Amino acid sequence: MAVVKFIAKRLIQIIITLILVMTVSYMLMYYSPGGFMHTTVMASVLAPLQSQNPILYQQVMDQFNSRYGLNLPLWQQIAKYVWHELSFDFGNSMQNPSLSIMSQLKQTLPVSVDLAVGSVVLSVIVGVPLGIVAALKRNTWIDYVVGTVSLAGQAIPAFVLAVIMVLLFGVVFPGILPIAGWGAWKDAILPVICLSAANIGVVARYMRGSLIETLRLDYIRTAKAKGVKYWPMVMNHGVKNSLTAMITVIGPQFAFTVMGTIWVEQIFGIPGLGKVMQTAFTSFDYPLAITSVFLLGSMIMIMNLLVDIIYAFIDPRVKL
Amino acid sequence: MAGTVAAARSDALNQKIKNRHRSSWYQGWKRFKRNRLAVVGLVWVVLFFLAGIIGPWVAPYDYRVGDFLAINQGPSWQHIFGTDNVGHDMFSQILYSVRSALIIALGATLVSFVIGVILGLWAGLRGGLADVIIMRGVDFMMTLPGFLFALILVVLLGRGYWSLILAIGIPGWAGYARLIRSLVLGMRNGEMVEAATALGASQAHIARRYMLPNVVGSMAVSLAFGIPGDLAQIAGLSIFGMGLQPPIPSFGNMLAAAGDNILGFPWLLYFPAGIFAITLLAFLFVADGLQEAFSPKGGN
Repeated sequence: MAVVKFIAKRLIQIIITLILVMTVSYMLMYYSPGGFMHTTVMASVLAPLQSQNPILYQQVMDQFNSRYGLNLPLWQQIAKYVWHELSFDFGNSMQNPSLSIMSQLKQTLPVSVDLAVGSVVLSVIVGVPLGIVAALKRNTWIDYVVGTVSLAGQAIPAFVLAVIMVLLFGVVFPGILPIAGWGAWKDAILPVICLSAANIGVVARYMRGSLIETLRLDYIRTAKAKGVKYWPMVMNHGVKNSLTAMITVIGPQFAFTVMGTIWVEQIFGIPGLGKVMQTAFTSFDYPLAITSVFLLGSMIMIMNLLVDIIYAFIDPRVKL
Repeated sequence: MAGTVAAARSDALNQKIKNRHRSSWYQGWKRFKRNRLAVVGLVWVVLFFLAGIIGPWVAPYDYRVGDFLAINQGPSWQHIFGTDNVGHDMFSQILYSVRSALIIALGATLVSFVIGVILGLWAGLRGGLADVIIMRGVDFMMTLPGFLFALILVVLLGRGYWSLILAIGIPGWAGYARLIRSLVLGMRNGEMVEAATALGASQAHIARRYMLPNVVGSMAVSLAFGIPGDLAQIAGLSIFGMGLQPPIPSFGNMLAAAGDNILGFPWLLYFPAGIFAITLLAFLFVADGLQEAFSPKGGN
């Protein structure tokens, strides 16, 4: 019962936060100079009309504004958008009025999620062993190399790494791996590597610290005294214990990876959520922009909630 | 005779006391020096700052002036980093970029820091409702990527220096506020302060001798980690077409041109991407070294 209450409480918190975020984003866009009809493309189409037939131009603008509710008072606009988002009725975007945002998302969202999931999986596969080795060989050159590499992975953002990768595989070693496009599994290799660098660093550093701490605990000493062999002791008693705590790191990291896909998609020319978001914000496409804020925010927060729940299930010491 | 011996001894004693006074900084520096990567990073960071300060005077060409007779040239003696598609000298572009990157990154970090210190102090010292509201705000900022806010703020404020400083700085306060608050709480209720109070130390003495030295280290470390983060964010905004308005050169704008230049003119990316990546690394190595040296508890 406590679990249900906990989840309900958190869900209410999430919804309140989402409403706040959407309201803030909407107001910021609302008060920014410009608008969808004033972006370069639209303005160049409408400029002749405005000069030759101002009355018709005004009619077009009025019709556009009433269609997207932009003529209503601000609070009504916000209420309308927030309500539509929360009931998952995203409507149609301004730049592509004939296509519903939902169907647009059905094509783009899975791409971004695939990239993020691939990156998290890769970072666990690579990061955990690195962390274990660093912890067991503490204060040797192996430890320092792992530490430096993980720090480097965290220092260089995914988009800088992406540019370097494109240079490496486009210019220095051309033809080994595709540097642009989306379709075959090979296209995902470089983007996933770029997205994983930071995660690998985080996972490895966390694993190292956690394992060192775990191996100092009393029950490890007991296991040693009982005559458990070295590797079974490390793996079953040490690593297993550290891995559960790892979930708390991976959850938030997943959220940042989703954010990172936006840039990586940009550089590798992948048609994912990032591309959609960028055009939405730069062209004042209210429905699309608010939807992407809504999706990104809810994904991040639901991920964090899931982490807390899973953690409580795995580790009986944690109480929700 | 006896007098001089006593004087020498008290001199030595004074020296010893003096050394002990300086010891926390001195030992921190000694620990920092032992980390070779941090020292190398520091050298690069110093060079980077130098380039930012004197860059415009040593740049061989004006960043606004393109030489149309020399477009897309590879590195040569005239243009050691080559030229771009309108004949800008890349070396000069990079020197100016260093300056713009530093101005915005330092400004933004300062803005975040000041907001964070004010709110953190307020939450920590006041407690009660102020504390609850501010910490809720911190949670709120932490759940959502600051970049999202930065992006929206740039749309609102425009793409100049000041607006970028504010757009990147304003959403970044949460981490600093949380740190300051925890430091304040830890200090106020800490055993060290209690012991000093019991010994009859004045408030000012406690603040100066015990609180400040303990706080400065952690704050310096968090600032050192903040600067490369903000540097990366500036470039990230440029990739979105939301960074500094070209023609003002910036690393982000040069990286954003990646798609167009990558195959034909790779040197337009070798230098900016390489220098930018090394700079971020250098800042992070310095920050890591500072963490090891000054707040060993915070490290792993």
